[in-house]
Parts: sequence; C-alpha cells; structure tokens
Amino acid sequence: MKPLTLYVDKKSFIHAVDPITKLFYLAFAVLTPVFAPIAYASLICALLSLFLLFWAKVLGNALPAFLFVCFVLLTVIVIQGLFGVSNKTEMFRLSGLIFYQEGLLTGVRVILRVVNIVAAFLVLTLTARTSDLAEDLVRAGLSPRIGYVITSVFQIIPQMISSADTIMDAQRSRGMETEGGLIVRMKAFIPLIGPVVLDSFMGTKERALALEARAFSASNKKTFLRERPVSPYASPIRWTFAALMLAALIWRVAA
Amino acid sequence: MKNKNVWSIKLSTASLVLIPAAVGVNYIGKLFAQVLKLPLWLDSIGTVLASMLAGPIIGALAGLINNIIYGFMDPVSFVYGITGVAIGVAAGLMARLGFLKSWGKATVMAFTVVVTATVVSTPINIIFWEGQTGNVWGDVLYAAVLNATKTVWLASFLDELIVDLPDKILTVLISYAIYRGLPKNLLQLYFTGSEIEELK
Repeated sequence: MKPLTLYVDKKSFIHAVDPITKLFYLAFAVLTPVFAPIAYASLICALLSLFLLFWAKVLGNALPAFLFVCFVLLTVIVIQGLFGVSNKTEMFRLSGLIFYQEGLLTGVRVILRVVNIVAAFLVLTLTARTSDLAEDLVRAGLSPRIGYVITSVFQIIPQMISSADTIMDAQRSRGMETEGGLIVRMKAFIPLIGPVVLDSFMGTKERALALEARAFSASNKKTFLRERPVSPYASPIRWTFAALMLAALIWRVAA
Repeated sequence: MKNKNVWSIKLSTASLVLIPAAVGVNYIGKLFAQVLKLPLWLDSIGTVLASMLAGPIIGALAGLINNIIYGFMDPVSFVYGITGVAIGVAAGLMARLGFLKSWGKATVMAFTVVVTATVVSTPINIIFWEGQTGNVWGDVLYAAVLNATKTVWLASFLDELIVDLPDKILTVLISYAIYRGLPKNLLQLYFTGSEIEELK
C-alpha cells in the first residue's frame, strides 16, 4: 500500500535534527526570499534546501515531488512568455508564436519560487516523522487534543482505504457499474462514498466514548511516554534562522 | 435542530474525532473520483460534511488539518490550507444559518462555497504560480483572458472559478445528499446543544 507520508527512514545528521528546528528552517527558507529585496534569494535558499536533502541522502526521494510541479511550471513559462502582462522585448519566435523576454523572466522567477518552497517543505516531510512532529508540537504548547487529531488521521486513513476496497467490491457484486459513460461513473460515486461516510462518522461516537473513558478531556497536565532529549544546539540554530529572517525583513524595510 | 449561536465553539470530544473522519472521507472521495476516472477532485466532501454537522470552527480545523496532512504527501498542498479553512467556514456558517433545510437552500450554499473558495484561492495562485491553477482547461482560459485584458487577477479569478465551479458545487450537493441520509442519532450528537456529548 502507498505510504501516507513521504518520510524516508535513514540515518543522517539531518534526520537527527528535531522537527521543531526543521519548522524554523522551513519558515526561514520560505519567508526570507519574500522579505529579502534581492532577486536571487530564492535561488540561494533553494540550493540550500537541495543541499540539505542531499546531506540527508533523500535527494532521489525528492524527485517525484519536483516532477509533479514540473509540468505546471512548464506551462507557466510558456504562458508568461507568450502573454505576460509586462511583455515588451521580443526574444525569439517559435512557429509563429512570439516569446517575450519579460514574461520568460517572470516564468523563471516563478520556477525558482516554487522549487524553493517545495524543496523547503521536502526537507521537513522527507526527514521528520509526523508522529515525532506532532509530539514535539504538543511539548511546545500545542493542545494535546489537536495533537491527537493529527496523529489519528495517519491511523484512520489506512483503515478507511481498506474499508473503501471492501465497499467497492460489495457494490460491484450487487451489479453497480463502475465503468462506462461519464453519467454512469458519476452515479456510482454516491453508493461508494455513502457507506464510507456512514462507517467512519458512526465510528466517531464510539471513538469519543473510548477516548473519554481514558480521560481525554482531563484538564491535568499531560505527561509523555517517551522522553526525547533536545540537542543543546537546537536552540541557537533556531534563533539563527529567526534572526536571519528578521535581518532580511529589516533589509527590505531599509532598502 | 439548529444551534442558536452560529460561531459556537464546541470543541467537544465528539466534534474533535469528527476531524480525522472528515480528512479520511476527503481522501477516500478523491480516491473514488480517481478510480471512477471522474474529471473532478471531490476531495473536500469530508470537510463540508464536518462543517454541516459541527459548524464553522470544526469545519475550518478539518480543512486546515486536511491540507497539512496532504502536505506530507504533496508539499504544494500546504499552501492551499487557507482555502480549506475558507471552505469549512463558509459551509459551516451556511449550515448554521439554516441552509440545510432543502435542496434549493443547499444549492445556494454550494454557490457560496464556490465563490469563497475561488476568492481565497486566487491570491494564492497569483503569489505562487503567477495566477495559474495547473488545470489544463482553466489555464487555457487564463492564457486567453490574460492575452485579451492584460489583467492577471481577472484571468486568474476566472481560471480558478471554472475549475472550482463544477467540482465544489457537486462536492456540496453530494455532501448534502449524504447528510440527509445520516441517522438521527448521529445528528443529535452535534445539533442539540445539550450536554449529550459531554461525557465527563
């Protein structure tokens, strides 16, 4: 079955860094190019993220995510090159279509921006376990109730996928058509999704009871099953990212 | 069967456990749409249903958490978390204002959700993709409008609208059809405003 997260279990320095520090890095890599008044800030941050992915030995795993946005980025560069708002200077012609310099530059900027953001998120998603992230966020002050919601999604979805398969087989065995014209296929949707909703929503009642029986709503301070030592370097690294972000903002205001 | 306060924040356990179920339904909706090769996403049925049941706050949370979770599979999804929130708030508010009474009202609700989703997504598309949506038909329209009017926001708005219109209208109407079929004892968990779900 397809795993629900992109996380790749490997041993590397980047994997060992705690998830909260990675969140600080994410904010830094995404926001600094927005603040900094230089055009190539995105490029620098994107290269930094790609380097971190390489360091974590997950650059290959990052490839599908980049290919996914690649197609859209290709259309962006074509559309901007042809029709961009600020198009003035003709650059080249391709079978009668005129591509303009300004639009193509805009396209390149979009590509850098998107690649940077995707790469920054991948540093987090490829190297941090979601359960660790949720747990550390709760430690940092997120409501344990919300923390539970996030971790439970990752348990519920695989269950629901298997029940979806069962429902599909059951409905087909009753003669429901899942192939044919658009209308036929549209009609099949409700008998498929309906039971899934009923199944999962009725289950919420039992789940709520089970949780309450385990003092889910108790207002006492929650304790943790596992102790996770935080590296003494975590705090200075986090503050460095925050400071760099602030510096970029001040640079922007001053410039 | 209607809560007095549209914004009532009932983060009861029953409402909270609705969120993972909603995210799961979103996921399965998308899965079925792919299996049936429908030209739609239908990936916010769970969010809309959670909003119908538990109101705008839970709807917004379901939308947000949904996109955060999807973000772990596809990083672009993180950015559209705000759209998820907007869909949840719009559907939840309309539900609390009594737009679940008939198919006619549900259709009004559907259009409200479409407009809200489009208005919120357009700036994100402009900031992120210079206005495109990545949908072929939408982007063809985008190129045409951009060429004709030279206004990015109009082109982008129409691009998003044409993509969202069929998808979100059907999402809300399918959710409403399912909502009408939900058993009463489930609805009571969320609508009575009494202490039923308080188990402590």
